[in-house]
Amino acid sequence: MNKQRFLQKRRQEWKRFEQLLARRGTASGGRPKPAEITEFSRLLREVSNDLATIQAHDWGQGLVEYLNNLAARGHDAFYRASPAGWRPALEFIVAGFPRLFRRNAGYFAVAAALFFVPLAATWIAVQNEPTLALRIVPAEQLDSFDEMYGEASTSDPEHAAGGEGSDDDDVSDHGFGEERAAMAGFYVQHNVGIALQCFARGILLGVGTISTLLYNGIVIGSVAGYVLSLGHSEKFLSFVVSHGSFELTAIAIAGGAGLMLGDAFVHAGQRTRLESLRVRGMEAVQIAGGAAVMLVVAAMIEAFWSPAPIPAVAKYVVGGFLWVLVALYLGLSGVRR
Amino acid sequence: MVLSLNLSIETPENVVLTHQLAGPTYRLAAYLIDLVLRVGVFLGLTTFIMVVGAMTLPGLAIGTTLLLLFLLEWGYTIGFEFFWQGRTPGKYICGLRAIHENGQPLSWWGATLRNLVRIGDMLPTMLLYGEEAGIFLILPIYGPALVAMLMSPKLQRLGDLAARTVVVHSRRARLPRDPVIYDKIPPLDPAEINAVVPRSETLALIDQFLGRRSVLTYERGHELAGNLAQALAQRLDYQGDSDAVRKYPMAFLARVYVTFTKDNEPEVDVRAEPTRRRRRVPAGASA
Repeated sequence: MNKQRFLQKRRQEWKRFEQLLARRGTASGGRPKPAEITEFSRLLREVSNDLATIQAHDWGQGLVEYLNNLAARGHDAFYRASPAGWRPALEFIVAGFPRLFRRNAGYFAVAAALFFVPLAATWIAVQNEPTLALRIVPAEQLDSFDEMYGEASTSDPEHAAGGEGSDDDDVSDHGFGEERAAMAGFYVQHNVGIALQCFARGILLGVGTISTLLYNGIVIGSVAGYVLSLGHSEKFLSFVVSHGSFELTAIAIAGGAGLMLGDAFVHAGQRTRLESLRVRGMEAVQIAGGAAVMLVVAAMIEAFWSPAPIPAVAKYVVGGFLWVLVALYLGLSGVRR
Repeated sequence: MVLSLNLSIETPENVVLTHQLAGPTYRLAAYLIDLVLRVGVFLGLTTFIMVVGAMTLPGLAIGTTLLLLFLLEWGYTIGFEFFWQGRTPGKYICGLRAIHENGQPLSWWGATLRNLVRIGDMLPTMLLYGEEAGIFLILPIYGPALVAMLMSPKLQRLGDLAARTVVVHSRRARLPRDPVIYDKIPPLDPAEINAVVPRSETLALIDQFLGRRSVLTYERGHELAGNLAQALAQRLDYQGDSDAVRKYPMAFLARVYVTFTKDNEPEVDVRAEPTRRRRRVPAGASA
């Protein structure tokens, strides 16, 4: 076969394929007609064949590059990732995420221990000996917490947003309104960010995740212990009980996902370490994604419900209900019968 | 293959596609462009929101700003890469794309994983803090990313390794024009050469060289062609006009090419159909 004649014969088909590709690339292309799909599929196979022919005959790098590009773009268009949509997203939240969570519950248990045990320990220690809090959280920050949960409490989100761990710390007597909207933005940006970082740092053999969990547990515990030691217990507890259900659980879940990443390297099992990272990484990121959704829910509760000017008893009831809801969701949602 | 940084993917059509992998420099450039864009968009929109919203709805303005910060921090790369076939604006400008190792376009979770793990990749971070301005700038060093890229054969950072993705150059290749010269040039007289047949690689090289000679200046093109033409003339023991070989080496190369590619073909008059592309006679063709 002669190169020039081959080119002459095939050029029209390549131009046609380029046209089809260009139409696929634009949003206005709309749904392809059945005949068009058939033609596209035929041309893709032909172009692939031409590419192999040219490679075999060594007919020039430029030509190979051109056809390689055509075939690659055709391949992209033909074997596209499944499109985004509300349905898969909803399915993920209702069933996919809780299932993945249950399948990897062991990591969650370890992460929860790393988070809640130091939290409880510092809480108890600081409540009995409030000066200990000074060794963990800077004094001016502690003062701002005192102000917040004290009697006259108007506070600016930026002041409360000191360290990484200061996440259940703002309350206001103003109830709903402008300040709430500001806090909603803050909670999403701050808390979801922490959870995602907590997950992502797991890639460093899990060390980053473990330190993030311990740090947040200790800081939250000492703040809680300190505030309670000042006698603001009802105000503080009724504030945190509702969103704590989603928020604290989700942080532990994200931590568990981070541990999965790190553990994939450490305990690779029958796979190579890289392969193990890939398999478990795909599951871990979905769990972290679910945790992020939970934290957005928590942020909304924290911004609009937790500071609402209603009796503490009502908040305890709703808060308790939310804890049960989280447990039921993670434990039972999407169970196959 | 001449290029070594290639990723070969076998498609279901049993054809091997190649993508050229992108190295740290290109990707750093794309990253910096994205960073500038993100900071610019954030500052611009924040100023706008604050000016408009500060009087009427101050709380909502602050909330929106923080939400915007979150979206730019976490959503920017994930969103762009998923909805724009592996590109962010920075990658687009640098001609890069992220794809899965098996050649498939980025999936949602693939884009999410590779961009979340970025947090691990960018360590250690330097924190530049403007005390009175209250603005801090995080400057990532990307240490683990660089080490991982240097150690992995596909130039992948940790996020890429976990999500099975690679970053490749995505150029628009164009159909190369075939040299017009072939139509005009007579083949070499068999009486003037010996029985040596040049290797097919040599012929392909001539073909590619002539096809791309427009990117070289006339002098430089002749200089380069001269070396090959002289060597070939010697190898073929060319008895013809050696002055012409020296003066018009491109024409000689074209004659060699025509001689050895047309010979084994039965004479069918392909040129019967009119070709539009015979516009000018190339410089060397007068030989």
